[in-house]
Amino acid sequence: MPWHTDPRQGRGLTAIDAVTALIVLLLVVQIWLLSVTLDTFLAGHTETALPAAIASGVLCAVCFALYRFARRVDREARSLLPGDAGRTSERQPQP
Amino acid sequence: MREHEPLWREEFSIFKANERYVSRRQLAKFLTLGSAAMFAGNLWILARSWLRKAPHYARRAVARAGEIPVGGVKLFQYPNPGEQCIMVRTAEDTYVAYSQKCTHLSCAVYYSREHDRLECPCHQGYFSILDGSVLQGPPTRPLPKVVLERQGDQLIAVKMEPEV
Amino acid sequence: MFGYEFYVDPSRCIGCQSCVKACEECETHRGHSMINFDFIDRSETIGTAAFVCWHCDDPTCAQVCPADAIKKGEDGIVQSALKPRCIACSNCVYACPFGIPKIIPEYEQMMKCDMCYDRTSVGKRPMCATVCPSQALSYVRPEDIVRRREKPTNVFYFGNQRVTTQVYMMTPPGADSVTADITEFMWEKADA
Repeated sequence: MPWHTDPRQGRGLTAIDAVTALIVLLLVVQIWLLSVTLDTFLAGHTETALPAAIASGVLCAVCFALYRFARRVDREARSLLPGDAGRTSERQPQP
Repeated sequence: MREHEPLWREEFSIFKANERYVSRRQLAKFLTLGSAAMFAGNLWILARSWLRKAPHYARRAVARAGEIPVGGVKLFQYPNPGEQCIMVRTAEDTYVAYSQKCTHLSCAVYYSREHDRLECPCHQGYFSILDGSVLQGPPTRPLPKVVLERQGDQLIAVKMEPEV
Repeated sequence: MFGYEFYVDPSRCIGCQSCVKACEECETHRGHSMINFDFIDRSETIGTAAFVCWHCDDPTCAQVCPADAIKKGEDGIVQSALKPRCIACSNCVYACPFGIPKIIPEYEQMMKCDMCYDRTSVGKRPMCATVCPSQALSYVRPEDIVRRREKPTNVFYFGNQRVTTQVYMMTPPGADSVTADITEFMWEKADA
């Protein structure tokens, strides 16, 4: 079907929207976690620093994984375009 | 498999549908970097907590008993010059001292005789005179307490709690 | 859009130029018609052909625009150059294999057929297809066009370039693409 009526394009956009919303959610949690960690550290309780760093690292890793997923969806959706138009942009190796 | 397109052609796409992809992709990239920045912040706090040496406090006489009346206030600097502290004589034989820097945004707190508490004038943060805990207001952390020892009629500042 | 497709049949064109005049009346470019109206070989024949923008799937004009002014929307329509961006460099004019874009020097602007976007986006016909008495330019559903003897195609070959378009050209039955070799139309031929 003509690419401009292909529903797979629209679905790709919806998937990326959902991933972005998820990343925002995790980011808000991370911001809160950082502020709480700083507060307890300044109050002298240093035992919270390590678990908080681990939790933040896990959240960050999940964010990265979601971002990589969004990139893959984006690449696949744009590969639906005809002709030259759908190519992805990994940098070409220097000749 | 398709050949790779130059980055400029992808970022400035002639297809309006792709423009929306690019702006969304840029937003997702920015947010992910934000997430990495938050993680870096937590790592920095972790590093600070690991590398901190136990602070060494000097003992210093900061006041004489009877120097101030009951309900009176004395300002002194401890442990280092420039770190303002406030001492309050709450009863005949009871003296308490705290750091004067409000834990919210570092305004100087003062003693309110009327309400028997330490008050920060900037955003109405109130601290208990008994242990420096927060009674009300934006501060989240209690006021650091100066541990005092009585030797004769000298009041000696021994250390800060929590150790800062 | 809305299930309609645009079909161009130059063999039906009678040269009345109703399409030219109807297009000219549009408010957005009053006085400038976006129809590409050709006299095929005026000294030899009365034959004429009226063309609109073919709204290619991979528009060459957009690819060569240095200002990123030409965009193709999700409904497939290639719009005229964006006014804040167009610098009237004429790159698109040179690049388009069909010779569609026009530069309006007074506005320093490229303008071309946008399939009467203000009409087609709400389900109406473009002006040219509405007024064409012979329906050389027609905007109908695919099931209506099969009744004609000619068959629609949207694949064009210009030398090595393969162009697929959204607008269909009516061709003799059996021809599934249109090949145009520009050198055949030049007066000076390359040495054989």
